[in-house]
Amino acid sequence: MRSRRETLTFYLCISPWLVGLLLFVLGPMTASLGISFTRWDLLSPARFVGLRNYQRLAEDPLFWQALRVTAFYTLLYVPTELVGGLGLALLMNQRVPGIALFRTIFYLPSVLSGVAFVVVWTWIFHPEAGLLNAGLALLGITGPRWLADPRTALYALWIMSIWGLGRAAVIYLAGLKNLPRQLHEAATIDGANAWQAFRHVTIPLLTPTIFFNLLLSVIATFQVFTSAFIATNGGPLDSTLFFVLYLYRQAFERFSMGYAAALAWVLFIVILALTLLVVRSADRWVYYEGARI
Amino acid sequence: MIKGHRFTRATNAAICASIAVLFAACGSTPTAPVAVEPTAAAIAPTAAPAPEGTKTVLRVGTGDSGEGLTPHLAIIEQFEKDNPDIQVQLEPVGSGDYYARILTQIAGGNPPDILQIGDDAVPQFVQKGAFAELEPFITSATYPLDSNIYLPGVFEPGKWQGKQYLLPKDFSPLAIYYNKKLFDQYDVPYPNDGWTWDDFLATTQALTKDTTGDGKPDVWGVQLPGPWTSGFEYWVAAAGGRLVSEDGTQFEGFMNSPETTKAVQFYADLYNTYKVAPLPADMNAFGGGNSEFDSGTAAMRIFGRWPQSGIKENPNIDLGVVGPPVGAKRANVLFWGGFGISALSPHKEEAWRFLRYYVGEQGAQVWKDWALPTVKSVADTSGQSNDPIEGVWIGELNYLAPRAYVSTPSWGATADPALRKVLEQAILDPETDIAAALQTAATDAQKALEDQE
Repeated sequence: MRSRRETLTFYLCISPWLVGLLLFVLGPMTASLGISFTRWDLLSPARFVGLRNYQRLAEDPLFWQALRVTAFYTLLYVPTELVGGLGLALLMNQRVPGIALFRTIFYLPSVLSGVAFVVVWTWIFHPEAGLLNAGLALLGITGPRWLADPRTALYALWIMSIWGLGRAAVIYLAGLKNLPRQLHEAATIDGANAWQAFRHVTIPLLTPTIFFNLLLSVIATFQVFTSAFIATNGGPLDSTLFFVLYLYRQAFERFSMGYAAALAWVLFIVILALTLLVVRSADRWVYYEGARI
Repeated sequence: MIKGHRFTRATNAAICASIAVLFAACGSTPTAPVAVEPTAAAIAPTAAPAPEGTKTVLRVGTGDSGEGLTPHLAIIEQFEKDNPDIQVQLEPVGSGDYYARILTQIAGGNPPDILQIGDDAVPQFVQKGAFAELEPFITSATYPLDSNIYLPGVFEPGKWQGKQYLLPKDFSPLAIYYNKKLFDQYDVPYPNDGWTWDDFLATTQALTKDTTGDGKPDVWGVQLPGPWTSGFEYWVAAAGGRLVSEDGTQFEGFMNSPETTKAVQFYADLYNTYKVAPLPADMNAFGGGNSEFDSGTAAMRIFGRWPQSGIKENPNIDLGVVGPPVGAKRANVLFWGGFGISALSPHKEEAWRFLRYYVGEQGAQVWKDWALPTVKSVADTSGQSNDPIEGVWIGELNYLAPRAYVSTPSWGATADPALRKVLEQAILDPETDIAAALQTAATDAQKALEDQE
């Protein structure tokens, strides 16, 4: 049994974190839940409206549009990051001269300011003067109008995001470096070819890392903001109206704080539900030290 | 000018927003940055001979940043010399998010004494009581202000429902920039003041050229600002229409009127039927992705005065400026920024003394080197009124049409997104049934307006 003293020391030691949590996370979260039941434009006092904001959500076509755009983008981006990030990590795991330099280069975009890299990409996507369409023209292809066309704008943002694969790749790389070499050797001695060894040894051993990346990736795509805010501002014709961008507009352009807080809580619940789903699914496919959790 | 900042707001803004609402921190935290506590003066014993301590400290909030702060600081320095009992502290918020910042300051009970806002925000801020009414100050015996000193149409945007709350800082109507080099090269006569929509169309057609023979124009008649609603209002007004009823309550019958339809049709036709304007490179608020005029491949551009100093220095361009063409009537729209005194200011008297100086003749003497001066005598003596370029901007003030966004606090939440959608549709899809799209927009905007209450 622990002594009182030990308990006290424990709480004393975690108190900086605990105070931070209560003051800067739980407190404001509770407040925002309260605000979501009001109408508040910051200037006049908040007015209690009950569930009206949540009812309005259901009737708001832009809310559904934002949810559709975000969900579609998640379906597009998460698999890209899982597969592409792993692929990049496998390349970065090769023993070739100067590999450290390549690793740095691939990771570099994740270090750059999001705004700066989006601005650069808007130039690459420029329909007439852009690098991408100039390259396509050399191949005899007339490129689309990318960010200026509602049919291609979301895909353009997706292409742009591939530049950031380095972030996931570094985590995969750490996972790959941790794999016990002898299992791979044993498989090879038993006659497994490279693909079989990868599929039946590397992948299962890597599932905890994949799981971690999947979770981060789902949460991050539901919070996409910068690229849409800067490159398209949600357009054309709301084709890139991401959820958080819509929330930002309601809060800081329309000053409908109550409605924005309701949006934030819906987003919170959606992300929570998806996270739980992923975590629940983990015991079917994630292996820790040879056993499923 | 607040409007101008939408260009650059890209930069910061972002991340705080998402986190802020999720955690609602911004709303409840007073965001006084480097503010000196104004109460210090009150605490200091008045009899004590401590001039520094008894100074009233005024805080001035502005959305200007960088170089744009220089005229503010110059005026403040002059004013402080003449008024040793007042110390003025400029609080620049930088580009982007200016309104969000001052709103949180107001919500926190600690806004600057003097606030700068754009005309589009006047109804919303004034109606919620953010600003003090200026009438008693303007007519006061000791520090009066003569409202007749201003250029025409420049004083009025500071009014809401007949009362004055803000005074003018700077302004810009729209005009057509044209590149004389291209006009000379293709032997097209320069446009004249009072030219018509037909003249305009003919000029754009004469200047749209396919020089490489690939079937696509390489020189364009005009660079248009895409689905930019607040600039588009000019076309509606020039077609003889308006976007909202005079009392700001009806969109139906205005946004979907034959005049508005004609304006949207003509604008979209410039892109898609006559093909004299390059399509927007992006659909952001200003169509800011287009640079054909700057690169010398578009002969004209319709816009406000904000980029003019850069255009003048551009070696591709030999600049001329002319008023926008006349449709069913001659019309223009104004963009405007002004200052008011916060309703929460504990130093309204002192704030008025500074404001009067800031936006009066002394202030205008400084502003004139940075933007168009608001005060007529300053514009005349500086020669700007008769300048072949600046005189055009000032002359356009005689043709101002009423502004839709100053007639209702709900414009931004209701009609603006609806109109924007129509413009995007009409530009992107040549097959758009514009009358039907405007009908939908008017209905949606009307419904949204009722929902605001």
